[in-house]
Amino acid sequence: MEAFRVSGASPAVGDGAIATNISAAADLTAADTRGAWARPRLRVRYPFTRRTPLLIRVAYDPRSLATRRTIVDKRPLYWVAGLILLAIVPLLGSNALLSSSTVFAMYAAINIVWILVVGTAGIWSLATLAIVGVGAYGSAYLSITYGLPWWGMIAIGPVFGLICGIIIAIPAIRLEGWYYALLTVGLAELCRVYAVQSQALGSSEGGLYGAATFIPNGVSQRTGLVISFFAAFVLMLAALALYRVVNGQRLGRLLRAAPEKQEAFAEALGVNYRAARIRVFLISSAALGLIGGFYATYFTGASPSLFSMDNMMLLLAMITIGGIGTTGGAVVGTLIVVLLDQVFVELGPLRLIIVAAIMLASVLFTRGGLFGVATQFSTWRSRRKSERRAQRSERGGEVMPDEATEIRDKQTIYVRRFDETVRKHLRPLVTDEVIAEHKRNPSGPHSDTLERLLNYFRRAAITDKYGILAVKSFAEYRVIALSGRRGVPPRVVDDKVYATPDEAQHAVFLRRVQDLMQS
Amino acid sequence: MAKSQIYGYSDKLSVKAGDDIKFMISAEGTATFKARLVRLIHGDEHPDGPGFLEEPIEAPLDRDWPARKQYVQKGSFLQVADPARVLAPGGAFTLHAYVFPTLPGAGRQVIIGRWSVERNLGYALGINGSGRLEFWVGDGAQADAVAAEPLLMPQVWYFVAASFDSRTGNAVVHQQAVLNRYNSLLSKIVPYDYASHVSERLRVRPGHAGDVRFLIGGASERSEARGEFVSQCYNGKIDRCGVQGGVLDGRELAAISAGGKPGAADILAYWDTTAGYTDRGIGDTVIDVGPHKLHAEGVNCPVRAQTGWNWNGRNDCFRLAPEEYGGIEFHNDAMTDCRWEPSFSYTIPAELKSGVYAVKLTAEDERAEEYVPFVVRAARPRAPICLLLPTASYLAYANAQLSFEADAVQAITAVTPILQDIDVEIYKNGVEFGLSTYDHHADGAGVCYSSCRRPIFNMRPKYRMPAVCCPWQFPADLSIVAWLDHMGYQYEVLTDEDLDRDGIAAIKPYRVVINGSHCEYYSERMMDATEDYLAEGGRLAYLSGNGYYWVVAFREKQPWIMEVRKLEAGSRAWQARAGEHYLASTGERSGLWRHRNRAPQKLVGAGFTSEGMDVSVPYRRMPDSYDPSVAWIFEGVRGEIVGDFGLARGGAAGIEIDRYDLTLGTPPHSVILASSEPFTDNYPLVQEDVMFMHPGMGGTQHPLVRADMVYFTTPNDGAVFSASSIAWASALPCNGFDNGVSRVMKNVIDAFMKVGPLPGKR
Ligand SMILES: [Fe+2]
Repeated sequence: MEAFRVSGASPAVGDGAIATNISAAADLTAADTRGAWARPRLRVRYPFTRRTPLLIRVAYDPRSLATRRTIVDKRPLYWVAGLILLAIVPLLGSNALLSSSTVFAMYAAINIVWILVVGTAGIWSLATLAIVGVGAYGSAYLSITYGLPWWGMIAIGPVFGLICGIIIAIPAIRLEGWYYALLTVGLAELCRVYAVQSQALGSSEGGLYGAATFIPNGVSQRTGLVISFFAAFVLMLAALALYRVVNGQRLGRLLRAAPEKQEAFAEALGVNYRAARIRVFLISSAALGLIGGFYATYFTGASPSLFSMDNMMLLLAMITIGGIGTTGGAVVGTLIVVLLDQVFVELGPLRLIIVAAIMLASVLFTRGGLFGVATQFSTWRSRRKSERRAQRSERGGEVMPDEATEIRDKQTIYVRRFDETVRKHLRPLVTDEVIAEHKRNPSGPHSDTLERLLNYFRRAAITDKYGILAVKSFAEYRVIALSGRRGVPPRVVDDKVYATPDEAQHAVFLRRVQDLMQS
Repeated sequence: MAKSQIYGYSDKLSVKAGDDIKFMISAEGTATFKARLVRLIHGDEHPDGPGFLEEPIEAPLDRDWPARKQYVQKGSFLQVADPARVLAPGGAFTLHAYVFPTLPGAGRQVIIGRWSVERNLGYALGINGSGRLEFWVGDGAQADAVAAEPLLMPQVWYFVAASFDSRTGNAVVHQQAVLNRYNSLLSKIVPYDYASHVSERLRVRPGHAGDVRFLIGGASERSEARGEFVSQCYNGKIDRCGVQGGVLDGRELAAISAGGKPGAADILAYWDTTAGYTDRGIGDTVIDVGPHKLHAEGVNCPVRAQTGWNWNGRNDCFRLAPEEYGGIEFHNDAMTDCRWEPSFSYTIPAELKSGVYAVKLTAEDERAEEYVPFVVRAARPRAPICLLLPTASYLAYANAQLSFEADAVQAITAVTPILQDIDVEIYKNGVEFGLSTYDHHADGAGVCYSSCRRPIFNMRPKYRMPAVCCPWQFPADLSIVAWLDHMGYQYEVLTDEDLDRDGIAAIKPYRVVINGSHCEYYSERMMDATEDYLAEGGRLAYLSGNGYYWVVAFREKQPWIMEVRKLEAGSRAWQARAGEHYLASTGERSGLWRHRNRAPQKLVGAGFTSEGMDVSVPYRRMPDSYDPSVAWIFEGVRGEIVGDFGLARGGAAGIEIDRYDLTLGTPPHSVILASSEPFTDNYPLVQEDVMFMHPGMGGTQHPLVRADMVYFTTPNDGAVFSASSIAWASALPCNGFDNGVSRVMKNVIDAFMKVGPLPGKR
């Protein structure tokens, strides 16, 4: 590139154009234009995406005008902190805690994938655990019968999951919601009965055991548990990554753009909504199969309880408590239920009642489960606040200090005070005589008292100010209120019709008097 | 089907025999519409007058025409014809501009770029929906962007730039304030840190297609119904801007931001917005001083002659320091030409007499009706009387939205506005046919351009201006037409456009010129013509209030567009920014004629003194009126009260009123024939007469609040009769045109149209 020149007096931009007067710039704020600029701030992205790790909002502080940088979405930070805690805490606890944590991580993985099915694809399948079961049974059977190693079991799991997925997906095209859920419960039960009765699946031993394990021979029990836990933890991270990819990428965006109700609309736009749903369902099924393979190598086998109704219900409790639709909710819900189920074993059957109670409470009292409580609370609080303020300003009260800080144009605070003072002085002026005078002669000339009232009415701000609509000139008039916003037509305030402009003018006057007396 | 709607306009307001006039019509909700030529006689439907009067005239255009909707391109912008696609760089490039945003945050706005909205194709530097500077690119499928950090502050000058390295995909946006003591809303004492420089590696490379236009202040968009149009229009000013090849670094950009010129070797285009200025005004072409000469053309009148990033407050006009006046102002709601296809045209036949005509358009269901008015002037003037319709003032008020948008309107008029369906319709449609010089753009700036190449819904018979609840301008002036018709006078009609174009030649053939009810906006050529006409013995009946008030200019190349700047004084709907007081169209100082030492009193003996719309009053004869030199004016008028009636709020004196004032140049031999009875306090003394504020400025307390009926003679047997009141014209039709006001008018016109000395001459 050619060396850059700033030619002092005359940049002489060809064609005899007028020279730019550099000295005119001499007044510029020094920091703004002198010398080199600050180096551009490099904004780093996740590879292959347009997303930056943290969404940072830069804004001027309204009090000091200082530039403030705030993290808009702190969830990535919470995730990192939470996952680190989840990875460390079990290591500090007993063996029982370690194995409970493994179960937790495994269930969390299942639930995260389930959220994809329910939340993203919008398919109400209750056969989630059943697919895991098929994956577990299938890979365990192959391992026991053909000596499949543990990694082979995990690798073959998705095949079983996919086969299940394809079978279950077919009715999903035809059945909706509740009926489909029932059907999937039936299918799971069928699997359970089969597993319980089948000789090949170990009906006599109450399960199929003896499959390969990923724990190396000869390690201590503690080491084995630690390896298991981390393996399950990695499984959970993988589920999270899968969720992120499917839900965050085009497929998920497509589905979120077209929730069930707008299906027809989406299809009209050329969005193949059904195909996208089925695709998400199949991907999830394969993932559940993989978890099944993992399950079988962790437990070195599978048991019919995988297909049982009570386990499914526990799973349902997990995602309900956390809040259906978010991965955070799935993880927290799983954590609570597993904690109750595995750690407070001494409570006995009472734990199930507690789980049921928490589930009920979260359905009844929260919108979006426990995970949505914080946002729910803040919306509730801001609604209360704005209600209180609306009441206050309706009564013409002074602006509260906490409200004042949020008003950008401080003049409005004064105007509200001033208006109330004016109204206080005007109210006594409203008498029957003044009203009669206006009725007699809406145009004027008017007495000073009436003129004073009218001046106040007439100088009001345009928004919601009264006007008159001539439905038919010299025959039919109605009172309207102006919007004050270009493109928004005025609204008709009532259904009364006036025959002459004078009658309509007086009707407006009466309304204004009424507003004054009521404020 | 939705309610039918018809809107139309003609390419000219004034035509003569042999001329071709084109009508541009847009109709919706109807398959065809019926056209009918009519002569307009009276427009006020007030029950005390003759009501609406029209006369059908046979013409070949009387038939059914196929209807179709025509779209309106709103928003001002500059477009660059770039056939060689210089501005579609395959390699690295840098965009830069000085900007003064006025509405950041109101939707996405393009400052400079080549961007196709519906295709996600090209590149642009602009303001994103959140109000931040953003550079974005699109390859036809995906878009990617990098945005600066803090919000852009409105009405602050910034230097902004974006560079893109096509090899690495690295994009950098730069924003740096360039505010000085004068150029911005805020000064350096405000502790904002305006600067932001952000770099991000984009995943998308800009694609280029030949049919995407390079625009300054907008983006290309296409829809099936509309075809090609421009959207994402910018609000604010843009000063010198350009496109450079290669990535310019911070040091190089800092130098440009301080007023330097980009290195010659890199220039793809560099628009020197200050180039090509002349002493007589600035056109719509913005000159590219780079090697490719890719000049940019303005659409919808981007406002030139505005203060630039380096305005230092010492110079107040682009003629003095063009280099400080590089600002071009854009608005996303500016509209000065609908550019519709003609629906039909009409050749004026020789036998059609001069008058006020309209093409009346009716939808099939007869629920929509539209009048497109025009004037037929005489090809060869023959009549002694000329009615000069103040079309410049019609344009000033064209499509005004005062009663919907101005807080103060009800306080000014002292009545609650009465709206008609058409008002609601237009407002609901977002005032798509553009605004009046009484309105504000979305960013709060006043509207300084108006045009007649668009439907003007308030320049229609029967229309009543909501704010004042009576006809205004065109429909009110039809009361003069009806009076002339009724009285059987031979008259011909002219418009301000004719007077501006032809000067004194337009009115010279007539013995009397009658001006309309509110000739408020006057160009220098119109003033000169009137003055010369009177000096040469012409006779003028000035039936207005508040006439000859604002300095306006019609654009040289587009005489259908008029410009005004409202300055620090006068009854003004807005006020031009500091330093922006001169007309871009001619280089003249705008504002009030009074402040260019040509107060209306110098021309017609009376000038604006007050306004109010609650009640009009009568005149009472003044003692001077009994002098034989002028007593003839009142011949046949009984008593000393004139005009205690009228369609405009019950009197002949009112609405806007003028007074005699020797200190402002009323000819010393003028006579006040009659003066108004006292007004209410809703008639305050005008602001330009108020040196210090004090109470008691209203009509019941201040002696300057009055309408003076003034008469004086000019050289060569010329004379001026001034009614000094808008309400005057609307009093003429009362009682079947048989009334005192009509009688005074008749006496004046009868005397004025006679050749030779005036009556009462000693
Ligand atoms: Fe006016």
